Amino acid sequence: MAQMSMLFSMGSSKKVITKEEWEKRLNDVKIRKEDMNKLVMNFLVTEGYVDAAEKFRMESGTEPDIDLTTITDRMAVKKAVQCGNVEDAIEKVNDLNPEILDTNPQLFFHLQQQRLIELIRNGKVEEALEFAQEELAPRGEENQSFLEELERTVALLAFEDVSNCPVGDLLDMSQRLKTASEVNAAILTSQSHEKDPKLPSLLKMLVWAQNQLDEKAVYPRINDLSTAKLEDPSIS
Amino acid sequence: MNNNSSNHDCSSNSNSTSSLVNSNSAGGRVADRRDLGSHFLGLARLGAAWAPGPVDEAEESPTELNTINSSGGFLVVSTDKLSVKYTGVNLHGHDVGVVQGNRPAPVRRFAYYFEIYVKDAGVKGQIGIGFTSENFKMRRQPGWEPNSCGYHGDDGFLYRGQGKGEPFGPTYTSGDKVGAGINYATQEFFFTKNNTVVGTVYKDMKGPLFPTVSVHSQNEEIDVNFGQKPFAFDIKAYEVQERMRQQATIEKISLPPNISYGIVRSYLLHYGYEDTLSSFDMASKSTIPPISLDQENGFDEQEILYALNQRKTLRQLIQNGEIDAAFSKLRDWYPQVIQDEKSATCFLLHCQKFIELVRVGALEEAIKYGRVELSRFFDMASFKDLVQDCVSLMAYEYPKESFAGYLLEESQREVVADTVNAMILATNPSAKDFQGCLHSYLERLLRQLTACCLERRSLNGDQGEAFHLHRVLHNSNTRC
Repeated sequence: MAQMSMLFSMGSSKKVITKEEWEKRLNDVKIRKEDMNKLVMNFLVTEGYVDAAEKFRMESGTEPDIDLTTITDRMAVKKAVQCGNVEDAIEKVNDLNPEILDTNPQLFFHLQQQRLIELIRNGKVEEALEFAQEELAPRGEENQSFLEELERTVALLAFEDVSNCPVGDLLDMSQRLKTASEVNAAILTSQSHEKDPKLPSLLKMLVWAQNQLDEKAVYPRINDLSTAKLEDPSIS
Repeated sequence: MNNNSSNHDCSSNSNSTSSLVNSNSAGGRVADRRDLGSHFLGLARLGAAWAPGPVDEAEESPTELNTINSSGGFLVVSTDKLSVKYTGVNLHGHDVGVVQGNRPAPVRRFAYYFEIYVKDAGVKGQIGIGFTSENFKMRRQPGWEPNSCGYHGDDGFLYRGQGKGEPFGPTYTSGDKVGAGINYATQEFFFTKNNTVVGTVYKDMKGPLFPTVSVHSQNEEIDVNFGQKPFAFDIKAYEVQERMRQQATIEKISLPPNISYGIVRSYLLHYGYEDTLSSFDMASKSTIPPISLDQENGFDEQEILYALNQRKTLRQLIQNGEIDAAFSKLRDWYPQVIQDEKSATCFLLHCQKFIELVRVGALEEAIKYGRVELSRFFDMASFKDLVQDCVSLMAYEYPKESFAGYLLEESQREVVADTVNAMILATNPSAKDFQGCLHSYLERLLRQLTACCLERRSLNGDQGEAFHLHRVLHNSNTRC
């Protein structure tokens, strides 16, 4: 019923594809299991699920596209930043590959900035000032955006109640996560691995492809990615 | 929900022949239910049918100018059919010397491009480059007539079938290299002058388009490059850049939080990768911030939680080649799955048993097994191809290198394991629909992605690159 009424009410020149027709087309699409396994493995590896990746290798026979031991090291760095142990993280990155920080001045600055944030968070005012003057200020002289970020960070010291100050967001967990994911991406890049998993890109591509097709046709969409439910084609 | 909008609902009073899962007793399948496992027959022979990699559909490109359909009297085409010279004295607008390429621009690719070199701008420099349709009037500049488009040298204007142009790019004259291209991904024409893009415009013309050049004043002379020589413009770099631009647009789309995580988790559940799942869950508890999948996220995992441990065990047995053991477990746990001796599931299991015997070189046993268990499938149309492939393994000293060698791959075991997995999911009394048993969420999304890209391309007259998921996954850059 729904489909019939829709066919008649179509005024535009868009092609109408009924659910039945569309399902036939979907059935003609053969997705290789091997490709899906690779996609899942790529997600596990890139996101750092090392144990799951190892298990998945055994259960599905899919080979990871990176040496699994490097994931453990990478995750240790990431975790150190997430927990606020920035010094430890810097040391670990340098153990892994000293070129990573040498060739990424911005990343190095952000790590140092994070270190400063942690010092301020822990109330080590004197140490923080010393660190800012000795380690960060010289870098600020080289780069205008570094200088601005340094000023923003040092501003934390000017407030008694940092939770309610304009730069308070620097103390948020999200700031640590941002720095952590920046290090994570840099390590992956240094291992000639893509820094992002492929799955989210494909999902975005699905959203994009549906939007593109909307311009030319009315067909059953998947509106909710989490249920993958095929909607009835509608003209709304 | 609308009762007749979906034929996959489990409604008890349905009288349709559609697929229904409604097993209320062990082995009690609804009579009108088709053999669910037959879905996997196609997958089982995928290895045989699959070419080493998707091949681009070959299309011929223009290679020279078409001397037959050109405006004779006003121009001379060189003997190599790659240069044009205006020989007349132009008196009015219908004296144009215009000539098309010998073939239309190929469409099944990312972009098409060709170039001219202005040897001599002649008296007025009224040179044009562009695209025209097959029945273009060969007395007019490209762009002056409907269904044509041209970039003109004397004014730098773009003409699009109106006779009246619009300011577009710089003028061009003797010594310039000027190019015209079609970007099929964006459906745009683009023009270049001396290796730089000067502008793009929406391609509103349908049907085959011929690369076209024109000369219109005394002594005007141009060389045409259809790719027989390197272009001045770096078309490869252009393509890379355009792909990245498209990719950047796609990457800007935002997704619901943790959606990838949820899809991966449901995939592990669906296929019964239980060990991976528990490691995955363990790790996600300790991530910062911890990941939680709320009910509101839409994930319904009840159905794919079903019989997780049994499905995992059977998968392991089959992937280790222990088909007898798998049969025996199935008899104990889910006899209904292998009850029908002529079902696709039984067929695939028997084939696999046969394959395993061949793998270890137990040919005599394989022959015996085949006579008992496989012979009945020879005269069943849907099974014939696979059973013949299986049997032919015996004809080769090195079966792995034969055309049927795909049967000895790990992926073949996996197809059988996936079949059994789906059949067990379908025994779940509360299973809502078949799609859920056959396809993981991930697979459904990837099929939708592929179908959308294919449909869009077909509505664009098959223009642009074909979408191959396999290729996308093996390139670092995703593309559509």
